[in-house]
Amino acid sequence: MTPVHAAAQDPVAVIEGLRVEIGGRLVLDGVGLSLRPGRITALTGGSGSGKTTVGLALLGEYPDGSRVTGTVRVPQGLIGYVPQHPAAVLNPARRIGALLRDIARGRVRHLPRSRRRAAARERVLDALDRVRLPADGRLLRRFPHQLSGGQQQRVALAQVLLLGARVVVADEPTTGQDPLTKRGVVDLLADVARQGIAVLLLSHDTGVVRALADEVVVLRDGRVRDAGPAAASGRAPLGGAGRGDAVLDVRSLVARHGRTPVLDRVSLTVGAGECLAVAGRSGSGKTTLARCLSGLHPRHAGEVRLVGQPLPPGLRDRSRSQVAGVQHVFQDAKAAFDEYRPVADQVARTAVRLRGAAPAVARREALALLSALGLPAEKAARLPAHLSGGELQRAALARAALARPRVLVCDEITSGLDPVARDAVLGLLGGLLRSGRVEALVLITHDLGTAALADRIAVMEDGRVVESGAAGRVLGAPEHAFTRELVVAEETFGVPGD
Amino acid sequence: MSATGHRVARRLLLGGAQTAAVVLLVFAATEALPGDAAVALAGDQPDPARIEAVRAAMHLDRPPLERLLVWTAGLLHGDLGVSLTSGRPVAAALADGFGPTLLLAVPTVLLLVPAGIGLGVLAARREGGAVDRVVSAVLLSLYAVPEFALGALLVTVFALRLGWFPPTAVGYGTELASHPAALVLPVLALLARPVCSLARLVRAGMLDSLASPYVAQARRCGLSRTRVRYAHALPNALAPAAQQLARTVDWLLCGVVVVEALFVVPGLGTVLMNAVAERDLPTVQGLAVVFGLVTVLLNLGADLVTHRLAPRTEVAA
Repeated sequence: MTPVHAAAQDPVAVIEGLRVEIGGRLVLDGVGLSLRPGRITALTGGSGSGKTTVGLALLGEYPDGSRVTGTVRVPQGLIGYVPQHPAAVLNPARRIGALLRDIARGRVRHLPRSRRRAAARERVLDALDRVRLPADGRLLRRFPHQLSGGQQQRVALAQVLLLGARVVVADEPTTGQDPLTKRGVVDLLADVARQGIAVLLLSHDTGVVRALADEVVVLRDGRVRDAGPAAASGRAPLGGAGRGDAVLDVRSLVARHGRTPVLDRVSLTVGAGECLAVAGRSGSGKTTLARCLSGLHPRHAGEVRLVGQPLPPGLRDRSRSQVAGVQHVFQDAKAAFDEYRPVADQVARTAVRLRGAAPAVARREALALLSALGLPAEKAARLPAHLSGGELQRAALARAALARPRVLVCDEITSGLDPVARDAVLGLLGGLLRSGRVEALVLITHDLGTAALADRIAVMEDGRVVESGAAGRVLGAPEHAFTRELVVAEETFGVPGD
Repeated sequence: MSATGHRVARRLLLGGAQTAAVVLLVFAATEALPGDAAVALAGDQPDPARIEAVRAAMHLDRPPLERLLVWTAGLLHGDLGVSLTSGRPVAAALADGFGPTLLLAVPTVLLLVPAGIGLGVLAARREGGAVDRVVSAVLLSLYAVPEFALGALLVTVFALRLGWFPPTAVGYGTELASHPAALVLPVLALLARPVCSLARLVRAGMLDSLASPYVAQARRCGLSRTRVRYAHALPNALAPAAQQLARTVDWLLCGVVVVEALFVVPGLGTVLMNAVAERDLPTVQGLAVVFGLVTVLLNLGADLVTHRLAPRTEVAA
């Protein structure tokens, strides 16, 4: 590759005076930017600022019913798109290899027919290798839901590399990723730019933007602004009450997915009034551990004790009070609600089902708790589609807390949220623990900034707990090499809100 | 891999349990009928002495549990008992009826799958477009016509007016296979409604998956429209269609009484009708067991296909 003076290059894609109006509402107003080969242009701004609309405009995609004026000049050929939620763009009914092979086939048409198949396969494996996925072909036969979030993101990047696009749009590619995966994505995007590809990075992660961008364009309310948004901060530690008796006691937990071992003799304890954070990169077994505790992964060996009583491995074998005793809050709050019933009804139902409360009483309790969590009755009476991600996550917390659980298991409940909503949810979590509505907290997270708020941290790698101890000690003086690596990765890109 | 194997094994076990339940239910239902086979056989002039004799000859005086065990043991060897009216083994009578039933069912399914999927995909190409509206309107009106009415209409127009096809299969007997012209009208009558329901399900599934982010991504990757439609959108639209297809095949194999009667095809539906009319209990029992097994097997197959088409369901189960 010949070194080129990037600044001297003519732009490969240009947007001028772009104005998009949907149903009388102005989404973009006079937006302009230009992308040059080998340069990364970051487009930042809060959610709703119009970043994604700009990104999709480069692809020639506009929301339904929008009126568009202005010019968008793009090069001949395809434009790569790396989405925010890689899971959504991977076809659930097809194996990973299906789309990759189809893309590669389009790129080897110039070869004689007999050599196309082998050449396409070679290109696919090469693309996997370039995004640091195992290039042995086994991954190609897996379905998207069998990959971790980080792996899914890499597959989406591999698709873009296979395309041979001259322009790539990356839409919040690091949102919801753990620090190591985040660093991997950042390195990959830097690689992509070094190959002479123009990258438009849509991101509100200031650490990532700082590390990558050659130029920064700040968008607010659909207009280009100079000033960047200041990240909100001010988080209180979770828990903090002294360690009481062990509420949850896990001994030598072993679990596998098919033949792949996922948890290897995991042992941990959580005391009354305590918050334990389980940290580690994606694929380390954190979620499986959470699912074992909640009875959602029944095929495991080892012992899970709740206040001294062994819990049956499967949810179906647990008694009503045992089910109420361990409650689970999922990452995707939207998927955790029935979209056709009002939120308040679904929250109240927990008290009826798990505590045998009368419907009227349950409803009163639900509304009181929801409003304490910042969801007034008129908001809670709506269908889930009318609530934001942060509001739904608060409703999910209310629903779990209404069961009066001994242990609340939170699996990455803040990773899909923007910084403000995340801090709000974490604050409420601390309130639930301190007020005794929840006796103990298990917080699964890849974000060390979130883990730092817990009393203790257990760090996982490859299904094992490699280090555990008081939060300050683990983060301040990490003993295990992997923990040190995590802490360094986190410092490089900064926790959002630092 | 082994998670899938585990799931398949569990589903097979369930299938076995369902089969046992079918056998027990059929026996219990027969027991619950007023009187018994001997009374039924005696007909309109019941003579107590004769009923007692028949009862003894058929071992109906034995306790129910013993008869259940004997009957079940017979079933395991493929012995469904002996018909009360003809004296022939029930298994042989069913085998005779199964041929014509298959002759109707196989061509129907072979036409149904491409026609149903093809029409569904065609209608979903552009939602609300001219093609969609025409196809959907025709499918809906066709679905509203019951098969006996459609059959009568087909006979009137194509057999009696135009004389293109024989109106019924009368006279072909066991030679039905060598007279394919006689099968055309009954197959069309059988095909009409299943094509409509299958096509409507495929259309709905295709509209969903054509609007999905993963199809948008496949388009962005420069794949041809055909490739996107058939290789990336269609697999997601087929899971509900597989379940519907299993129900249709079940219906085709388990007695399409009306169509068989209309076209005088001596299939299982006819065997069932005659057995009920003649109060031939062992034959009715045998048919019930066979129909139950077919249903269990078809649903088993459909579940396995659905599992491949919607692999995420294993997480929920």
